[in-house]
This record gives sequence, C-alpha cells and structure tokens, in this order.
Amino acid sequence: MGQPAKETGPLNVPEELRKRKRIILGELRERTLWFIKLRWWVPPSIVLGTALARWVGVEFQWSALLWLAGFILVYNFVFYQLSQKVKREACQKEDIERFTHWQVGFDYGTMFLLIHFTGGIASPFIFFFIFHITFSAIFLPRRWTYSFALVAAAGMGLIAATEYLGWIPHHDLLFHGKAMELGQQPFHRVVILGFFSGFVFITAITITAVMEMLERRILDLAELTEAVTVLNNKLNTLYAMTQAVGSKQRLEEVFSIACSELARAMDVQAISVKLLSEDRNFLQFASAYGLPEDILKHKVVEVAKSPLNRRVIEGEPFVTGHVTHGESFQFGEDLEAARLNSVQFVPLIAEKRVIGILGAYSSRPEQFGPDDLNFFRQAAGLVAIAIENARAYEAIENLIQERSRFMNRVAHNLKAPLTAIASMLEVIRNGYLEKVGGELRQYMGRVDQRVCSMLLMIDELMTLAKSQSKQRRAEFAPVDLKILADGIRQTFLQKASQKKLTFEVNVSENFPQAKADSELMEQMLENLVSNAVKYTPEGGRVGLAIEPGENDTIQITVSDTGIGIPKGEISRLFAEFFRASNVKNVIGTGLGLAIVKEIVKQHGGQIHVESEEGTGTAVTILFPASPEESLQSRVSAEMEVLSPDIVH
Amino acid sequence: MGVKAEILLVDDDYDFREALEIILKNHGFTVRAAGNRQEALESLKVKRPDLIILDVMMTTDTEGFDLAYEIKKKYGAENLPIILLTSFLEKVRDEGPGKFQHILGEEWPAKWMFEKPVDTKKLIAKIEGILKEG
Repeated sequence: MGQPAKETGPLNVPEELRKRKRIILGELRERTLWFIKLRWWVPPSIVLGTALARWVGVEFQWSALLWLAGFILVYNFVFYQLSQKVKREACQKEDIERFTHWQVGFDYGTMFLLIHFTGGIASPFIFFFIFHITFSAIFLPRRWTYSFALVAAAGMGLIAATEYLGWIPHHDLLFHGKAMELGQQPFHRVVILGFFSGFVFITAITITAVMEMLERRILDLAELTEAVTVLNNKLNTLYAMTQAVGSKQRLEEVFSIACSELARAMDVQAISVKLLSEDRNFLQFASAYGLPEDILKHKVVEVAKSPLNRRVIEGEPFVTGHVTHGESFQFGEDLEAARLNSVQFVPLIAEKRVIGILGAYSSRPEQFGPDDLNFFRQAAGLVAIAIENARAYEAIENLIQERSRFMNRVAHNLKAPLTAIASMLEVIRNGYLEKVGGELRQYMGRVDQRVCSMLLMIDELMTLAKSQSKQRRAEFAPVDLKILADGIRQTFLQKASQKKLTFEVNVSENFPQAKADSELMEQMLENLVSNAVKYTPEGGRVGLAIEPGENDTIQITVSDTGIGIPKGEISRLFAEFFRASNVKNVIGTGLGLAIVKEIVKQHGGQIHVESEEGTGTAVTILFPASPEESLQSRVSAEMEVLSPDIVH
Repeated sequence: MGVKAEILLVDDDYDFREALEIILKNHGFTVRAAGNRQEALESLKVKRPDLIILDVMMTTDTEGFDLAYEIKKKYGAENLPIILLTSFLEKVRDEGPGKFQHILGEEWPAKWMFEKPVDTKKLIAKIEGILKEG
C-alpha cells in the first residue's frame, strides 16, 4: 500500500483551492478582455450618435468626436494586441492590474475630451465613468477605486472651472442653431458637479463595501476548507492505518505505514514508535520516520532515568510546544539541535497495558493542540492493535516453524533406517553378497514392497501435515492446463500401456487462463490419475478431461472403468488413512485423496464423486478460474531433479 | 570402459553407505566412503575423485550443502561433479536456495539431486552419463 489516502479518492482540497484561484485569475483576465471587446462598440456608437444628433438638429463639434472615435479605435487595437499576450502568457494578478490601469487612464483621457466637446459639465456622457468605477471596485484594490472616483470628480470640476473662467473654450450644444444652455449658470454647474461627485463616490463606496464583504466570506470559506482538509487528511490516515492493521502482518510494514501517514496527516517532521522491553525497564526505538540520526543513536532508554517517559508509560500523555533541555528531556539538546520545538507523546495501550510510546515531533513551536492530542491518541490505539496483531502472528509463525522442524526431524529419523533397509535389501536381492535363491528373493521382494509403502506413507503424511499447517501455502500464478495435462499424460503413459489401459487426456481448446498453484495442481492430478490407473483392471479405460465449467470455473474430471467404490463408503473417501474395503490387496496409504481434498480446499474448489462398484469411478473437481489470492514470488531451483520412482 | 571411475561417497548412515558402496562397486566403480565432513575433506586431500555423492542431512540439516560449497569454493574443484542425496527432495528444493541465497545468490552447489531411497538404476545411469560428458 503505497499511498492509501489516494486510493480512497477523497476531495483533494489544496488542489481544489488552486483550481479556484486559477479560475479567479482567468475571470479577471476574461473581464479585461471583455472590456476591450466592449470598447470596439464605442467608436461606431460615437459615429452613429453623432449622425443621429445632427439629423435631429443638435449641433456640436462633431469632427472632434470623430477624431476621438478614431483615437479610441487605435488605442483599443493596441490594447487588443497586448491582451493577446496577456492571454498567452501566465500572467500574475499585478500584470493584469497594470494593464487595467493603462486602459482606465486612456479611457479617462478620451472621456474628458468627449465631455469637453459635448457641452462640458452638461454633457450626457459624464455618467459613463460608472463603468470604470464599478469595474475597478470589483477587480482592483480599493484605493484604486477611490482614486478613479476622485480623478473623475476632479477632472469634471477642472473642466467646469476652466470653461467657466474661459481658460478653455466652452463647446455648447446647439439645437437648430439655438444654444441649449444646459448648466450655463454657475449654480447649475456646482449642483451637477456635486451630484456627479456624490454619485461616483457613493458607487465606489457601495461596491467596494460589497466586495469587502465578499472577500471576507471567501477568507472564511478558505479557512473552513483548510480545516476540512486537515480533518480529511486525518481521516484518511486513520483509514490507511486501519487497512494496514488488517492487511499487514509484519511489524515493520505496519510501522512504516503508520509513521509516514501520521507525519503527513499531522504535518509534522517526525514520528517515532518506542516499545517497552519485556521487563518494562527499557524503551527502544522500534521505528522512526524523519528523526535525525543523533536522536536515533540513543536507541535504548532506561525508563527509571527518564521522568518524562515514565510519566507517559504510566498513561499520561505529554505535550509541549517549547522543547528545552530541562530535566524532563533526556535528549533535549538533540531535539533542539534538530530544531524540533514541539513534541507530543502518548502511550501505546493494548489490552489495558502500556506497551510503548508513540511520539510526534514538529519544528513549529506550540504545534499541538487538544484536537491533535485526541487524534494522536486514536492513532496510538490503532498502532497498539497492530503491534499486538503482528506479535501474535509472529508467535504463531514461530510455533508453525517449530512444528515443521520437529516433523522434518521425525520424518528423517523414520526414513533413514528404512532407506538403509531398502538399499541393503537391494544388495541382498541382487546377490552382491552371496547367491540368493528364487524363493528367498521373492520373499525379499515382499519385504521391499512393505518398506516402500512405509516410506510412501511417511512422505504423504509429511505432505498432508505441511498443507494443513499452511506452511506450504498455495501460490497462485497463471497455469497452462494443457501443458499440465500433457505432463500427466507423459507420466502415466507407460504404466497405462503396461496394464493395456486406454488413457485419454482431453483439454478444451480456447481455455480461459487459470490461476492456480501449478505444483499442487500437478500433485492433485497425479494422485487422482494414479488411483484411476491403479484400480482399473487390464484392458480398461482411464480418462482425464479439463474443460470450462459454469460461472468462470474450471472442471477437471478423472474417470476410470475400475473396481469402483462400494456404496456407503464414498462419503469417507477423503478421510485420512481411509481405504475402501475392496482394495486391500493393492499397495496404498489412504492419504492420496486426503491430500487431493486439501489441495482442492486451498483452491476454493469442490469435489464430486460418482462411482459404482465394479463399473468405474468419476471424480469431478470444480474450482474458480482465478482464486482471490495474491501472487507470491517463488524461489526456483535451477537444477535437474530426478525423483525416484518409489510411488507404485 | 576398462577401469571405471572413482567415486567418493559421503553419508553418515553406515548401513546405507555400505549398501550403496557394494552396489556401486558391483557396477565396476571404485568407491571411497566417508562418514562425515572431516573424513570427506581428508579423503579429498589424498586423491581427487571423479565424482562425489553427498548426503545433504548429516550431523546438521545442511552439512552436505555446506560441504558441497566448501569443496566448490575452497578446494577449487569447480568442475568436480557432485550428486546430492536427500530424504526430502521437495523440502530441499523449496528451502535450499533460500538458506544460502544471502551468501551465494541463487547458485547451487550441485547440479544433480536424488531422493532417498535411491533408484540405483537411475543413479548409475546418471553417473555414467556425467562421467561420459566429462
């Protein structure tokens, strides 16, 4: 399990935030471009407005307006070109702001001229400032909005004043040759100016206030999102750890997952697991993530000499935000040297007994709050369970190994004298010592047969014990059943032909690939076919068929026309040492089918037997094409192995 | 073949060793026997045999293995053919390389292995095959 947190597929909050930021920047850029788009409409509108005004009889400096329309066209074109650059390059907010300032600057200049040529303070265009103020209130810092409002009000004041004082000419609007005299009176001018200034400032204030509120909300949301992220991380960590506890049996694996996950979720530099020795006098680092070597060199801590550790072992968590090399810290200097300011230690408790200490270390002072402590205690609970699990598993494994060693010894000691007897019999039977008469030879042959059956029984008992103790766990890998069946055919061809048996092997074409332990599968087929050959009289028929069964299963059938199994004995067929009442004169141990049963069980399959005494037997085995077991690598021996032919 | 090859037979089971020795001698081989590692090494010093038959499980579970490695590595007898005998072919096959992997990678000390009780016909055929190939 590399990154279990990712497998669970939760919302990746930081990524979400970045995405949102990208969207906001994109929007800003989009609006800037949108403004350029909008500006394209201004020159034609001026031209159209001019034409319309003249048609209804309004007279004014129309040529100046057309010049201005041309000017807008030119600078908007330049802005458009620049905007393409903004679009292409990944621009920062500042670049976009600067770009906006220039646009507003040009627009203001043009607007002042437009207003000047269409009646000054009485111009119908003065309210067009509203666009820019709104726009800047939304996208630019507040000071810029007020500056724009101020510039608009001041500019208008300047125009009104200079026109009034006659410093610049006043271009009045004429209607059919008659001055419209809008805002000609100084009082009117002051009123309009006052109204205009009030309008732009109120607009600026209102929109910036709304924006401010929105920003606050966004900040709140961001904080909330961050809190959710932290919580989410912690949950994922607990989940990953729970999974690790359930699926990993090796202590190191559990530790490595727990430590790295915890460090990530709590955003700390290091996590450590210290375990108590059996006599409970020493604490030893069992695992550490992110701790510097200097600290790890104190691998063993004497509990009696460490008040802090003693406190935690007594069940009291320890949290500090400022590590000092005071009395409670044995290695305070090392922690300080590693710039670890905050530490948090909680007891690892399994079955109400403290078995060690889980520690978290952070460079930030005052890193751990009550929430962190709570979370850390929960995590410690999981780690403790994992430790207990792994220890129990190790104990069982040791027992199994012990048993296996014992079994091997016993089997070896049982086999050794039999092996010697077999070889010595061979020496006698072959007359290597002195000539042996026919009858004695035959008698020796019978002794040899019994020795062989004894050896066979030891071997089969070993196999059975091994498969039952799960020491030899089934290792599933893709198996080519055709090749397997071919091997079986080769193995039994000679024996079958000696007994003049028809031996048919059929494997379906287009077979789905099966996952099985090929060695066990081979052993199973060998046992079944060997029985069929053994118990079928001369001239009979033995068949092995492998075909797809229902529901993605594989069906293996071994059939014969042999002596069959007496009714009422089929149910006991797969019991250890069971031998049917009609086979007493054939050598066998009664273990072959028990082994078959064990193998079928390991593959999650089923056995079905149909038999009639005197007619024949058909054993059908159904097993899933892909048993749910992980693939395990296996050691392959590159050697030529010659099995002695001792079986039959 | 006139004078047949010389075989060093190492097994701690006296009865088995003697029986196999008689069988091999009856097939024309010269056989020297050794009951443990020490005897085997002394015998090796005296004269290099053409082939060694070695029991895996003697005083310790892996004495035969250890000896085979020793012969290969220390005595520079890389090309000296060794046949291992074991009561637990499957066990040795499953666990053998694992036990020695940390020292020797996946290399095995012996190319051939027979399970006890030995099918002497096959064993003799194999010995003759190995010696013929040289």
